Amino acid sequence: MTNDLRQADTRFAQAGDTRTSAKVSRETISAATVAVLCVLLLVGARFVSPALGSWSQVETVLILGFFLVVLSFGQGLVILSGGLDLSLPGTITLGGILATGWVGTSDPAAWYLLPVVLAACGVVGLISALGIIWLRVPPFIMTMAMSIIVASALLGYTNGSPRGAAPYVAVALMKGHVLGMPVPVVVLICFVVLGWLFQSRSVFGRYVYAVGTNVEAARIAGVPVTFSRILPYVVSAMCAGFVGIALVGYSSGATLRMGDDYLLPSIAAVVIGGSSILGGRGTYLGSVGGAILLTTLGTIISALGFEFGLRTIIEGSIVLVALLLLREELFKKLWSIRR
Amino acid sequence: MRLNWLKTSVAAATLVAAALAGTAHSDAQDKFKIYLSLSYSGNAWQSEAANIVKALAATPPYDQQVELIENISGTDPQAQISAYESMIEAGADAVISFPISSTALNRTIKRGCDEGVLFFMYDATVTESCAYNVSYLSSGFGENTAQALVNELGGQGKIFLSRGVPGNSVDQRHTDGAMSVFSKYPGIEVVAEYYSYWDDRTTQQETAKALTAHPDVDGIWAQAGEYGAIQALLDAGHALVPMTGENSAGFRLALADPDMQAKGLKGVSAGSPPAQSGYAFKLAMEILTKARELAPQNIEYPLPWVPAADVKVCAGDSYEDGCNVFPPEKVPSSFVSEVLNPVLLPEVNVESALNGTPVAGATIQPLPADVVKASNQPGINCDPCDAPPDMYKLTKVEATVQP
Repeated sequence: MTNDLRQADTRFAQAGDTRTSAKVSRETISAATVAVLCVLLLVGARFVSPALGSWSQVETVLILGFFLVVLSFGQGLVILSGGLDLSLPGTITLGGILATGWVGTSDPAAWYLLPVVLAACGVVGLISALGIIWLRVPPFIMTMAMSIIVASALLGYTNGSPRGAAPYVAVALMKGHVLGMPVPVVVLICFVVLGWLFQSRSVFGRYVYAVGTNVEAARIAGVPVTFSRILPYVVSAMCAGFVGIALVGYSSGATLRMGDDYLLPSIAAVVIGGSSILGGRGTYLGSVGGAILLTTLGTIISALGFEFGLRTIIEGSIVLVALLLLREELFKKLWSIRR
Repeated sequence: MRLNWLKTSVAAATLVAAALAGTAHSDAQDKFKIYLSLSYSGNAWQSEAANIVKALAATPPYDQQVELIENISGTDPQAQISAYESMIEAGADAVISFPISSTALNRTIKRGCDEGVLFFMYDATVTESCAYNVSYLSSGFGENTAQALVNELGGQGKIFLSRGVPGNSVDQRHTDGAMSVFSKYPGIEVVAEYYSYWDDRTTQQETAKALTAHPDVDGIWAQAGEYGAIQALLDAGHALVPMTGENSAGFRLALADPDMQAKGLKGVSAGSPPAQSGYAFKLAMEILTKARELAPQNIEYPLPWVPAADVKVCAGDSYEDGCNVFPPEKVPSSFVSEVLNPVLLPEVNVESALNGTPVAGATIQPLPADVVKASNQPGINCDPCDAPPDMYKLTKVEATVQP
C-alpha cells in the first residue's frame, strides 16, 4: 500500500508539470526566435547595401520601432485578455492633437499637462471597456466605433488643420541625447523592462492572463474579473496617447491621420511575437521582438531597389513566413522530437 | 477608410435634409445652390482648400447669393458618384469638387451637365469634357523642380525621389516630368525611390529608412511632405542637401533660415496650391451670375515658384508686399502656403484658410478677365487626346548645366 503510494508519488514527480513549463518555454523560444531573426536580418542586410547593418541602422530601427513597441504593449495586453483594440488610430491622434493644441510650445513648463493628455486617452479606453463589458458590444465593434467617434470629433474640433507645435518635452523625448545614446532608445529600453515586469511578473499581469484564458474560471478563482478586463483597454489607450505625443515630438506636429498606419502593424507585432489572437497566451518580449522585426524588415525592404509592388510582396511574404515558422504546432513537434 | 461609411451616411443625411429644406423654404429659391464635394478630409491641404471656399461663400455679396453645402465622400469613387447623383437630384446649380478619380466620375458628371449643373474640379481633374478643370497639373511641377535640383547639384549626384500615392495619376505625371529631366543627366543617379503619400510624417520615416542604406545622398526631389525629409536628415545628424518640395510653411521657413542654409539646404518650393478651389468657386459664381461667359475647358492655375532667395515671412494675415509664408506662431509646419493668392483671392486671409471664416469688411472682387487654357494631359484632363509635343518643356527655370 505504502509502496504503491510511493511509486505513484515518484511517477507524479517524474512526469513534471508539463502544462505550464512547456507553455512558458514555448513562449520564450518564440521570443528568442524573433530576436535571432532580427539579428540575422540586420547582418544579412549588409548584402543589400554596405551601409546597412551598422549601429546607425540599429538606431534608426529602434527610433522608428519606438511607436510600434509601445503600442504592442497595450495591444498585447488587450489581446491577452481576449479582446482586440481597434481604437488605436483615433486615440493616437487624440494624444497628438491634445499635445500640440493644449500643451504646445507656449510654456516650457507645461509638461505637467502631458499626464492629463494621457488620462484623456485613458478615458477613451475606459469607455471602450465599459461598452464591451456592460453593454456586451463585441470588442472590435466597440473599439472601432470609439476610433471613428474620436477621430471625427477631432476633425470637427480642429476644422481639419491641427494647430500648435510639438511641446519641448516631446521633442526632447524623440530628438535628445543622454550619455551619447538617443533618448528614445533609453526610454524604449526602460519601457520594455517595465512592460515586461507588469505583464509577466505583477499580480495584475497574472489577472489578465487568467481572464484571457477563461473568464469564468478566473472569477471562481477569485480574480477581480471586471477590473482585469477594463485595465488592458485603459493601458492600451494610454500607450496610444503616449505614442501620439512621441509622434508629435518626432515629426514636430500633429495631423489628423497620424495614427492610421499603426493599427494593423500593432496587431501583427503581437501575433508574430507568439501571442494567441484568442487571448490567454503570449509575452510582451515576444511582441517587442515582433515590432522590431517588422521595423527592421521595413528598413531593409526599402533599401532594395525593386519596384514598389514587388517590395510590398516581399515584405508580406517574409511576415507570413515568420508567422508560419513561429506557429506553436511547430514548437510542439520540435519539442516532441527532442523527447 | 474606416471613416468612409460614417462620412458617407452623414453626407447622405445632410443631402436629404438639404433637399427637404430646399423645398420647404422659399428664401432658398433665390440663392444658388452650390455643393462643395471633397473626396477626403483630414489633411492640411484638403481642409485649407475647403475652408477658403467656405470663407468666400460667407463674404458679401456671395453670402446673400449662395447656399453652400459641404460633402465629404471619402477615398472611394463609388461614394463620390452617389454624392454627385444626390446633388444633381437636389437641384444643384454648381458642384465644386476635388475628384477622387479622373475617369470613374465621368458618366455621372455628364448626366449632371445635361441637367444644367456646372462641374468645377480643382487640383485633381476629370477627363469628362463637359466639366471645368481648374488645375496646376499642366504647369510642369515635376520637370521644373527636377531641373532646379539638377542645377543645384551641378548635374552630378545621388538623389532620392520622395513620391506621392502609388498608382495615382498626379504622382505619375509629376514623376514622369521629373524623370524626363533626370534621365538626360548620366551623372544623376536615383538611389532610392519611395512613396510618402504626400504626408510629412511618412516622408520623414521613409527618408530615414532610405538614409540608412544611402547615407551618401546628395539631393532630394520630393512631392508634398517635403518638410519630413528635412527632419529625417537632421535626425540622422546628416548635412542638409539641396532639395525641392511643395509649399509647406515648414519647408519655406527652412529654406529662408540662415542656420539651415549653413547646413547645406538649398532649393525651391513649388507644387499644388489649395487656392485652386477658391479660384474654381469664383469662376463658377461669375458664370452663374452672368458676369462671365466661359465654355467648359481645362484652365491652368499658375505653378507657384518660390526659390529660397524669394521666401519672405509675412507680418500680417495676408500675402502683402510679396511675402509668401506665415511664421510658426501663426500656422503649423504642415500649413500649405499657397492657399492665398493676392491677385485671384484678395478677399481671404490666413484665418480664412485655417477656420473657414470670412474677413471682416471684405467684399468679393472680380477675377482677371483672361483665363489660361491648360495643355492636354492625356488620361488626366482629357481622353482620348494627344499630348503636346513639348509636354515637358521648362517654364520656370533653365538648365544651367548641360548633360
